[in-house]
Amino acid sequence: MRAPRPAPAAVCARAAFALAAPLAAAAFAARAAAQTPADTSRPAAAPPAAAAPAPDTAARAQAAAGTTGLAPAWQLLVGHSYSSARALTQPATFTVEQERGQPLYTVLDAAAMLRGALADRAWLEMGLRARGGSARPPGERAYGAMVRMFGELDPVLVAAGYEYLADGHFVVQQPAATFEVTALGGAPGLGTWVSPALHVRWRPWLGVAWGKGVRPYLRADGEWTGGRFEAGVETTGWLVDGAAVGFVQGDVSVRLVGGLFATASGEAGRAPPTFEPEGRFGVGLGFRLGPT
Amino acid sequence: MTRKDERGHRWTDVGVQRAVIRIVRRLSPGFGRRVITLKTRLHTDLGWDDWYPLRVVKPIRRTLHESLEDRVVLALKTVGDLVSYVWNRMEDA
Repeated sequence: MRAPRPAPAAVCARAAFALAAPLAAAAFAARAAAQTPADTSRPAAAPPAAAAPAPDTAARAQAAAGTTGLAPAWQLLVGHSYSSARALTQPATFTVEQERGQPLYTVLDAAAMLRGALADRAWLEMGLRARGGSARPPGERAYGAMVRMFGELDPVLVAAGYEYLADGHFVVQQPAATFEVTALGGAPGLGTWVSPALHVRWRPWLGVAWGKGVRPYLRADGEWTGGRFEAGVETTGWLVDGAAVGFVQGDVSVRLVGGLFATASGEAGRAPPTFEPEGRFGVGLGFRLGPT
Repeated sequence: MTRKDERGHRWTDVGVQRAVIRIVRRLSPGFGRRVITLKTRLHTDLGWDDWYPLRVVKPIRRTLHESLEDRVVLALKTVGDLVSYVWNRMEDA
């Protein structure tokens, strides 16, 4: 079903050069920045002195959002894989790797999302992602697209979506409807740092996918931030044909400037759509646009 | 200066600030009283992830009787932004 995997490249011998995959996204940056409420410089010490009285609730809501400048209609996120909360903070990476006597390899892990409002208590995300490059044979590549709706039902957040995943040959294709739920908070470190001194947080997601069968899954992620340094790990377990399979990925990143990172990342396990064993480690540049 | 919430209760600007800061403090139990001010950044200083800010919606509806929009809450950056948003939703008294 898939091409045989070539011998893994000698990771430690790789000279990894970063190119800016993310540069493709840079064109959007200025535009998105204009939409993003970046008015952190304004004094927030006191509420605004005047806002026009509004005749009804809807008008008041519109006036409030407009007055504070805090409600972009649509938000572009790059380097925010839509697969999970942890991946939401993982920089998109594009790495060029050179091995002695071998051609130049590329490895791409990138995703972009567009987020907009559906209603007061719900919003919509649409996204694309790719795991490809010449260092990954077509059978190991993955492409995906999804649309997902969120609803806040404090104390939980629920998401319903539809996702399409395919390998590089488009032989294995997995369209699936998904339903996910996570607790917004309530445990130490869940969604928020443990303390001012310990910048560690985590979040679990419980989900089920309906496609060619029903596939429940559990995903958990944890992350640490210290100054310019970040580290994270995400692990997902699926029940596939009655057997449990898992996939874990992690990264260590150093913020260089703005949304640009130097990133070392690794992964191991079995991931959709093929659920074949895989693993890699690499370093490169990462880029992120959107909330961190 | 006073304004009215959705139930017609009157609030001063200082009262709204105190109530919002109290709610944020309750949602960040690891942070001390002095750490949280209007300039405190929700994501950078308190470490709230993408979804955690939605936890303010329910207590603000209960305490300040204002219904917030999730998409606006998700875009808030500081405690002061949240205070401004709640205040601007209220009607002039």
